[in-house]
This record gives sequence, structure tokens and C-alpha cells, in this order.
Amino acid sequence: MTAAVLPRSSQGPLTGLRTAWRIFWYGGLMSYGMLFNWARPSIYIPTLIGGPTFQLFFFAALGSYATDRSPAYFAIGNAVQVSVLAGVFGMTMAIANERWFGTLPAILATPANRAALFAGRFLPFVFNGLLVSLYALAVGIVFLGVRLEPSGLAVVGLALLTTVFSCTAIGALQGAISLRLRDGLFGANLIMMGILLFCGVNIPLSELPGWMQFVSQLLPFTHGLQAIRQAADGAGLADVGGLILVELLIGCAYAVAAFGLFQLLERSARRNATLDVR
Amino acid sequence: MATALATARTVWSITWFNVRMLLASEFFVLITFVAPLIFATLGFFLFQSGGGKGGQTLLYVALGAGMMGVWSTTLFGCGGAIAWQRWEGTLELLVCAPTRYDLILVGQTFGAVVFGFYGIVATLIWGVILFGMPIEATFPLLLPLSLLAAIVSLGALGMLIATSFVLYRHANALGNLLEYPIWLVTGMLVPLTTLPLWVQPISWLLAPTWGMEAIRGATINPTPPLLAIVMCFVLAIGYYVAARYMLVFVLDKARRDATLSLQ
Repeated sequence: MTAAVLPRSSQGPLTGLRTAWRIFWYGGLMSYGMLFNWARPSIYIPTLIGGPTFQLFFFAALGSYATDRSPAYFAIGNAVQVSVLAGVFGMTMAIANERWFGTLPAILATPANRAALFAGRFLPFVFNGLLVSLYALAVGIVFLGVRLEPSGLAVVGLALLTTVFSCTAIGALQGAISLRLRDGLFGANLIMMGILLFCGVNIPLSELPGWMQFVSQLLPFTHGLQAIRQAADGAGLADVGGLILVELLIGCAYAVAAFGLFQLLERSARRNATLDVR
Repeated sequence: MATALATARTVWSITWFNVRMLLASEFFVLITFVAPLIFATLGFFLFQSGGGKGGQTLLYVALGAGMMGVWSTTLFGCGGAIAWQRWEGTLELLVCAPTRYDLILVGQTFGAVVFGFYGIVATLIWGVILFGMPIEATFPLLLPLSLLAAIVSLGALGMLIATSFVLYRHANALGNLLEYPIWLVTGMLVPLTTLPLWVQPISWLLAPTWGMEAIRGATINPTPPLLAIVMCFVLAIGYYVAARYMLVFVLDKARRDATLSLQ
């Protein structure tokens, strides 16, 4: 018995699109479940709920003690920053674990649309980052005096979504880099700490030295957080739309760089037979 | 006497072996050397931004950030100690070896703590080079004793962590959970007096509180940190006894259920 299989060239554009959609949607969901080491309550709760909660309290206490700013200032910054945990670590695991779990050769041997394959990994982590940040914002509202102007809620939501996307994008770049590293989570930790230091989470950008301000402009998160802070005070889309757009562009740039690097490393690994070399 | 010497030699060689193992781990290099520098820089900027209203010096921040690194190394290095032996398949061999297993664990946890203390040195150098931080000590003769007390108490706490975390399947997740709260409630960068009153009794039971107090007492405080040093040793004895009981319980359970090598 032989199954009739249409040659690829004779598949219509609609079939190709449907296949790409399936790879994007189901592949993304499956990769989240299988490659994200933290996707189980016994790890998820201590790492993505407990850890962020205490991070908020720590920086709110430290910041308000060391400076004259209110705990709410630090709570907002850190509530958004904790989404990096989900985005950067998640994407790093989603890409790098393919190699560690031995599934990378099988994935790369398929003719699957690489863009759909790659983009599908994003979605669960963007959603996850959003969830962690919303939870942390709720903790900030209940315990640390964070106040969001009702008029700015929609803009806060949009800015948060954009910020989480761009953080996930830098996570994807780190994931692609990890295909060549022994320990990909080293870079993920560095990115997380870099964002904590450079992007205005705890220290206003104006108080950082010039070179650090320059670096902060190149990193994701900086503009998104600025937009969120302003929108929380009631600024509208007209006021912070530019910041959100810059954040989106930075996120897209990192996503494109990640995809490009992934393709490059795939070609190089095929050429040099280093796909499975650790 | 000969037995004591042999014990000391065993503990020392395992400690040193573990230090070298940790040095080869990118993760431990990160949490011991890099993370404290990031947190120290953050602290320097924050206290600078506040104009030093609490009267805290750069040395206060550097020591606090360094000690945060020590806690992270203790937490992750000791929390996963037994679990790693399981993964690497050496646990059964070590448990069955003629050398007492608790001594092996003591060496391993001390290795993690000693490694963590390198981070304090790195943070101090960072502060001197980048922020012009002066190195000074109000009680220089007490400083070695303070450091020893801090290492001993954190090592004993590490042993308790190692023996209790093993009951939880994902020890590293517990590490992720317990990093920030201990930084907060042990007064590493935020004085305990600024925290709610109910936090203080909790902090008294934690070795990092007294270890930090002992080191700061010898370097920047006006009074000698004798109480802190004594408390470090008292807590160390308490932790060690608790860890021994815990270890006996855990190993008994593992033997009874035949789960020594199972995760």
C-alpha cells in the first residue's frame, strides 16, 4: 500500500500556508511543553512566581531605602523586568535544548518552513512573559503602592506586550548563539542582569554614565519600560506611541538577527558536520 | 589525634576539589564573580542617587553585594550537591565508601562557600578600580576571625540545605525561589531596622545575617562584632546537628525505598 503524496511543487499555496500554520501553532505549543524545562508546577511556581515576587520586594526595599523614590517606582520596573525570565530563558531553552535533547538533526532534516518553525517558538513565551509580568504588577498594586491610571491601561497593555516580545526576541538570539555554546544559560543570565542594570529598571537612565545610556538605547526593554511608566501615569498613545514603536523595531531587529544567525549556523553545521557536536 | 588529622585532610581535599570543580562551571563563575559586580554597581548607583542619606559607604555596598554572591553560591552549590552526585552516578559509591558520607558533604559544602568568598574579593577590587572605594577596617585583627566565622556558619547551613533540598525533586528551582528573600531578610544591602519587626526573628536564625554582621563589624562598624562571631559558631553547631539528623533520615529512607540513585 502506498500513500499518494503530492510532490511539493504541485502543492497549492493554500496547502503550504496551512502546513506553515500547523508548524507555527502546534510546533510552538509542543516545543513549549517539551523543551521549556520550567513548564511544570514544581519548577514554574518557585522560579516564575516565587522568585519574581521576592525580586519585587527586594528592589522596592533597597531602592526606597537608598533613594527618595517610592517603592512603586521600583515595583513597576521589576514587575516588567521579570518577564525577561520567561522570554529570555524560555527562548534560549526552546532553541538550545533541541541540540541537548538530540532532536535538532531531526528538525533540520525536515523540509519544514524555517520561518514558521522559528516564529512558532515565540508565541508561548510571549504569552508566558506577559502572564508573569501581569502577576508581578498585581503584586505591586496590592503590596507596593503601584497605581495605574485607568485611562492609560490599554496603552500599558500594548507597551507591555511589545516589551515582552522584544525581550523574547533577544532570548531567541541568545538561543541561536547557544547552538554553539556549552552553556547557553550563561548568556541568558547575563542578558537578564544587563537589563536590570542598563535599562532603567531601578536606576533612571539620566543617572547612568553616558556609555551606559548609549548601550541602553540598543537593548530591548528600555523604551518599552519608559512607555509603561508614562502610560501608568496616564499618558496616551499619542505621547508614548513613538517609544512603543522604537521598542517594536528593536524587537524585530533582534528577531531577524536571531533568525539569520539560526540559518547561518544551520548551514555551517551541515557543511562542517558539527550539528551534534557539544 | 591521628583520626582528627585524617578527617581534616579529607575535608580539606574535598573542599579544594570542589572549588576547582566549581571554577570549571560557567554558571558558578557567573553567580560568584559576575553577578556580585552587577549588584554592587547597581547598589553604588542607587546609594549615589540617594546622596548617601543612610550614611552607607561604598564599602558597605561592596561587602553586601559580595555576600549576596556568597549566598547564591551556597544556595545553588549546596542545594544541588547530592542531586548532582545522583546524576553523575557517584552517590552510591560515596555513600558506601569507608569515609563517612557527612564528611564528604562537609567538604563539598565548604568548597561552595569558600568559592563564594572569592566573589567578595572580586567585588572589593571592582569597587576600588571603578568607584575609588577606600579599603579600610576598623578592627583588622578581628577580620580573619569574622571571615572564618562566616565561612563556618554558611558551610554548616549549606550542609543543611544539601540534605533537605534533596527531598525536593527540583533543587535548583528552590534555589531560584530563595535567592532574593534571603538577600532581603539578612540585611545584606538593606538594614534590618528598615524591615517590618516580624522579619527580625527570622533573620536571627539565618547564618548570612550574622556572617554579614561579623564582616561589616570588623570593617566599618564602630564596635567589635563579638556577638556576631559567637552567633555564627552557635548557629553552625545547630545547623550541623540538624543536617546530620537530616542526612541519616534521607539516607535511611533512600536505602529503605531503594531510591538512592533514583531522581
